[in-house]
Amino acid sequence: MGVTCVCQVPVAEGKSVQQTVDMLHKKLEQLGAVKQGSFCVDCETYHATGNSSSQPSKLLYVMHNSETPLSCLALFEGGPCLIADANFDVLMVKLKSHFQNAKGHKVESRGSRYRYCDFLIKVGTVTMSSSARGISVEVEYCPCVVPGDCWNLMKEFMQSFLGPSVPELPSVFAAKPEGLFAPADCVDTMTQYLELFNKLRKLQIPGSNVR
Amino acid sequence: MSGGPAVRISIESSCEKQVQEVALDGTETYVPPLSMSQNLAKLAQRIDFSQGSDSEEDVEGEPKDREWGKQDGEEEEGTVKFQPSLWPWDSVRNNLRSALTEMCVLYDVLSVVKEKKYMALDPVSQDPAAGKTPQVFQLISKKKSLATAAMILQKGAEKLSKSVAENQENRRQRDFNSELLRLRSQWKLRKVGDKILGDLSYRSAGSLFPHHGTFEVIKNTDIDLDKKIPEDYCPLDVQIPSDLEGSAYIKVSIQKQAPDIGDLGTVSLFRQQQKNKAGMPWHVKLEAAQNVLLCKEIFAQLSREAVQIKSQIPHIVVKNQIISHVSHTYISLSISLCHSTGEKKNNRASPEKPKPDDHLYVLEHNLHQMMREFHKQQLSSVVMPHPSSAPFGHKRLRLAGPLAYDKAEISSWQQTEGLLEKIIKQAKHIFLRSRTARTIDSLASRIEDPQIQAHWSNINDVYESSVKVLITSQGYEQICKSIQLQLNIGVEQIRVVHRDGRVVMLSHQEQELQDFLLSQMSQHQVHAVQQLAKVMGWHVLSFSNHVGLGPVESIGNASAVTVASPNGEYAISVRNGPESGCKVLVQFPRSQIKELPKSDVIQDAKWSHLRGPYKEVHWSKMEGRNFVYKMELLMAALTPCP
Repeated sequence: MGVTCVCQVPVAEGKSVQQTVDMLHKKLEQLGAVKQGSFCVDCETYHATGNSSSQPSKLLYVMHNSETPLSCLALFEGGPCLIADANFDVLMVKLKSHFQNAKGHKVESRGSRYRYCDFLIKVGTVTMSSSARGISVEVEYCPCVVPGDCWNLMKEFMQSFLGPSVPELPSVFAAKPEGLFAPADCVDTMTQYLELFNKLRKLQIPGSNVR
Repeated sequence: MSGGPAVRISIESSCEKQVQEVALDGTETYVPPLSMSQNLAKLAQRIDFSQGSDSEEDVEGEPKDREWGKQDGEEEEGTVKFQPSLWPWDSVRNNLRSALTEMCVLYDVLSVVKEKKYMALDPVSQDPAAGKTPQVFQLISKKKSLATAAMILQKGAEKLSKSVAENQENRRQRDFNSELLRLRSQWKLRKVGDKILGDLSYRSAGSLFPHHGTFEVIKNTDIDLDKKIPEDYCPLDVQIPSDLEGSAYIKVSIQKQAPDIGDLGTVSLFRQQQKNKAGMPWHVKLEAAQNVLLCKEIFAQLSREAVQIKSQIPHIVVKNQIISHVSHTYISLSISLCHSTGEKKNNRASPEKPKPDDHLYVLEHNLHQMMREFHKQQLSSVVMPHPSSAPFGHKRLRLAGPLAYDKAEISSWQQTEGLLEKIIKQAKHIFLRSRTARTIDSLASRIEDPQIQAHWSNINDVYESSVKVLITSQGYEQICKSIQLQLNIGVEQIRVVHRDGRVVMLSHQEQELQDFLLSQMSQHQVHAVQQLAKVMGWHVLSFSNHVGLGPVESIGNASAVTVASPNGEYAISVRNGPESGCKVLVQFPRSQIKELPKSDVIQDAKWSHLRGPYKEVHWSKMEGRNFVYKMELLMAALTPCP
């Protein structure tokens, strides 16, 4: 588990999502990255019900990542998060009276997983109710767990195949105390995915780009 | 009768003749009256002296008759007084009174006897029928009483000896119980019927071996009490299953040539006969049996794997031996189970000649260790306590979810290597290591210049060990240390790391390493010249590790160096090849050469500064103990004196 950065890649001008993804794949392969299977990150949204009506109902996101196949993450909107094993999904069904599944809010990012030396690159198409919303790129630098130590290296690497659309240091890392050893973990990754998903969800569907 | 002297007793009886018989004619014959003394004797005979107070009436038969009236009165008075019996001192008074009476009588008798006028004392004649007991009867009675006494004594002695025996028995019983307690503290026991069974197996430690491994606890108390109890006597004995008796071990060895399959068979390797006596204490017996069980389990596991695992050359399992070929070499690994029950000593000892010990003890030990690790793995998969909500399985698998383990980590648990695979890998490593050591040692002993030093690290992994090889020249260790190699010996490959970080992979072939070291040694010489030149103030004109010119070496490349003397007059050129050896040429200045070929072009004096031709040095004739020393001498000789 290294430092991970998740970013959105804009769809190239005049291309479809799939074409852009293919272009990215080609670039990575040219770089020397090797394809290593596929990945999937999904996110389901639950409304917290039964609270007093005065409070706005909070959202609970339950996420899975194929990178941690036995785990299940539950993130409260802007609140605490929980890592559990796969049985958590069953538990959520039992908690129907408290948390209601928002049907049609399920977001997924699926795609291929590439390895380039110490980097792990995952290029995925974000789909929401079977419509492609955008492209996510996750870059993980495996040997390091301190974001501040390897951010520049990651940035440089990302520039090599993403071109100008390189993101800034993810806010989850920026929020961490400076100078302290604050290792990145899977929660940081999932928080970034969640941010991305939320951003894409609010986005108007740019009709032409959707296949 | 209260007044003593006033009482008078008359002992005279009225003499009336008794009729003895009346004859038919009416005449009466009278018993002749007893004389006084006869009468007294008769009376006295009737007295029973042993009875005290009751017989007073007999004694006082006469006075009673005489003083009848008076006595009657007294009796009346006594009964009257006695009847209420309210008076508390009544019995005392009565006793005192009777005592007084007797005293008075005694006084009277004594005074009468003293006077001797009326009475004389005669010895009492015993009644012969009553008094005299016959001697035979006496003897019998004596015998009888003696027998009774003897019987009592005997009974006592019997009781004593019984209690002693009982004590001993009790102690033995107690010993048995305490031994059982000790056994219980170390081994699993359970009671089945009237037997106590124990568990030898490693099942509780996670073993899956199907052998039941039970032993029976026997009470060994029926020992002959009369005989001396032997020193190592133990009231508790164990009965172990017959197939676990004796001792066993796993033998692992590497064999160079593949043995003929026909020769395979039971390997009997017991050279030292262990003492197999019945008197072994139970814990020794149990430990030996458990060891046998573990060896059997290891062997069973290995043979199962040997059959299952597919390999290029299939593993052979014959009887108590597994032979597996270490890939693409001619060596094979032989693992055998040696089990001796200690019964067939005689036919075992003779045919085996003492062979050199080819055990790989490390591997044998590792096999045991791996088996136990395997047990532990089995055991820890069902470790309790277990959260009720979590799925069953290994603990780390349970934790994988909440701790968010990633793919790589999870998949690293999945791959499980069998015991046989592991041991083969270890054997390969050990073999490669020993062969590397041998290669280096043989090179070091064969080649004196340059020297090879090997520093083996003490701490190794089972699959990897490392050695540091230094190539030096004797006497010049400080300046010539260019070649330092780190050899990481793996399972099938040797990874050589140069001092500058270059990495060379060598295969397991012995020749490769040897060639590599030879080329390194030849390079070392040239490096040494280069280093020496620096120290001596010479200039390095050219240097090449791999020369492209000249004869082709069969192993590696030749290397060459050219150095010039401080004033530039001389130059030494050295070419050293691993096979062709070294060739040293010295270039002289043109001015020193007499028979220069006359040329039309270079007539001018300035051309004399041109370099002259090379001449080869007869290196073997040079003085000096090694190459670098010779070179130093040569350089010194060519350096002009200041």
